[in-house]
Amino acid sequence: MQTFHVNGYDMAYLEVGEGHPLICVHGTLGDFRTWYSVLGPLSKNHRVISVSLRHFFPEHWDAVGDDYKMAQHVADTIAFIERVQPGPVDLMGHSRGGHIAFRVAQARPDLLRKLVLAEPGGDLDASLLEPDAPPPPPMPLAVAMPLVLTSIRGGDIDGALKAFVDAIDGDGAWARMPAAAKQQLRDNIFTLLGQANENRKPFTKAQAESIRTPTLFIGGGNTTGSLAMVHRVLARHVANSQTVMIDGAKHWMFDEQPQKYCQAVMGFLAS
Amino acid sequence: MQSLHVNGYDMPYLDVGEDRGRAPLVCVHGSLNDFRVWGCVLGPLTQRHRVIAVSLRHFFPDRWDGVGDTYSIAQHVDDVIAFIEKLDLGPVDLMGHSRGGHICFRVAQQRPDLLRRLVLAEPGGELDASLDPDYVGGPSPLLARFTASAEKIAAGDVDGGLAVFVDTLEGAGTWPRLPAMVKQNLRDNAYTLIGQVRDNRPPFSKADAESIKMPTLFILGARTKGLLPKVLHALAAHVPYSKTALIPNATHPMFEQAPQKYSEVVLDFLAS
Repeated sequence: MQTFHVNGYDMAYLEVGEGHPLICVHGTLGDFRTWYSVLGPLSKNHRVISVSLRHFFPEHWDAVGDDYKMAQHVADTIAFIERVQPGPVDLMGHSRGGHIAFRVAQARPDLLRKLVLAEPGGDLDASLLEPDAPPPPPMPLAVAMPLVLTSIRGGDIDGALKAFVDAIDGDGAWARMPAAAKQQLRDNIFTLLGQANENRKPFTKAQAESIRTPTLFIGGGNTTGSLAMVHRVLARHVANSQTVMIDGAKHWMFDEQPQKYCQAVMGFLAS
Repeated sequence: MQSLHVNGYDMPYLDVGEDRGRAPLVCVHGSLNDFRVWGCVLGPLTQRHRVIAVSLRHFFPDRWDGVGDTYSIAQHVDDVIAFIEKLDLGPVDLMGHSRGGHICFRVAQQRPDLLRRLVLAEPGGELDASLDPDYVGGPSPLLARFTASAEKIAAGDVDGGLAVFVDTLEGAGTWPRLPAMVKQNLRDNAYTLIGQVRDNRPPFSKADAESIKMPTLFILGARTKGLLPKVLHALAAHVPYSKTALIPNATHPMFEQAPQKYSEVVLDFLAS
């Protein structure tokens, strides 16, 4: 694969199409293949650059070492974008990759033209909660993590993945997932051992207000729980933002509705 | 993407994994697919092999308009041969699915010096009289339906054309049941069907099969029906150093349906 050497690591990426660069950052258990279902439409007008974060496939990581951290992935993404010309680039992230993209926009707005956050993951601190509202539910992975870790360490990879996927998209979601999609999650299973200690900080109101990059939030119309809530709360405080909901889809909305997803993204990037 | 300039065309490919002293495994997709179709087996296969998944001429990421005569088995065979030569990594292992299996078979016939081992996952094609006593000659009985499919696509009804094509191969009602991401990858390559219905590929003969001298693995989905299993069994009976692996509960896209089992049989074969 093509790689950029960033922060001592050869970061792999797939580059397709011509036009303004659109950097795509996958989420938990994803990799550069996460975006395969939308590469066709998006690459009609954009140079789509789909990265694999440190320790994700094509690396076969053994989970040894302590450099699977949110801060590391943010620093890697920044260093990667610095290598892409012409800047400033468009940046799109899904789930945990949305969290990363948000942090990049906070730290280095000079690198970005537009920002797309598809159900970004993360916790909300007290400044983002209504005073009398009940506390938000925890992130699905936080709930599932004990069972996920026990399963991986016991060699039950599919048990770990079932716990993860069902926590996000509901009971039976893992069983319904196409076999090809399941396999790509398996290929990254050991990253969850790193993620258990990734030291991710919650979002604050001041952080959301600091995002000046034009931002599109994308949600799945059928997503429930905290992943459905976080982007709505952030959107209220990101000044120059809009939200598109993808009907008939949950958290992996671009796999479920690739055409609608691309229409939303391409419309936003062209506006 | 990375690409190699072959026969006047920049042929894109995805190159994943370390070579670990073994021959690289070059993968050739079938009709309506592209380099992405192998995504679901890249993980297991790259545990041991450097995997190079090509996109044939006019498939995504190219956006072809269906005009011209450069979509054919002969052209694609020439391109794969030139690609392997240009890679310059010595003899490779070559794997093809469906129409890609047909191409790999023809590469093995023409240039055995370029190959170490051959994997054919339900290769597409027809059988001539030497392999099929019922052979009547003429175009494929499915050609009329494929032509109808291509005409719909040329007229702008991409999903309608794809539905005809997929349902013809896999049974009525298959298209609506396909995962949305699979459908989208087919849409990205829909225009290649316009070239494909014009392509008049010769049938396989017994002499063709007997001429394949490298170790060959045929892979069959246990629930695949129709011509594909018939062609596979006929070829396997006459390719001298061949064996056949069956993927339980799978049909034509068997590696997408059973990526672990599929990878296991490929890895075992390449290691044996």
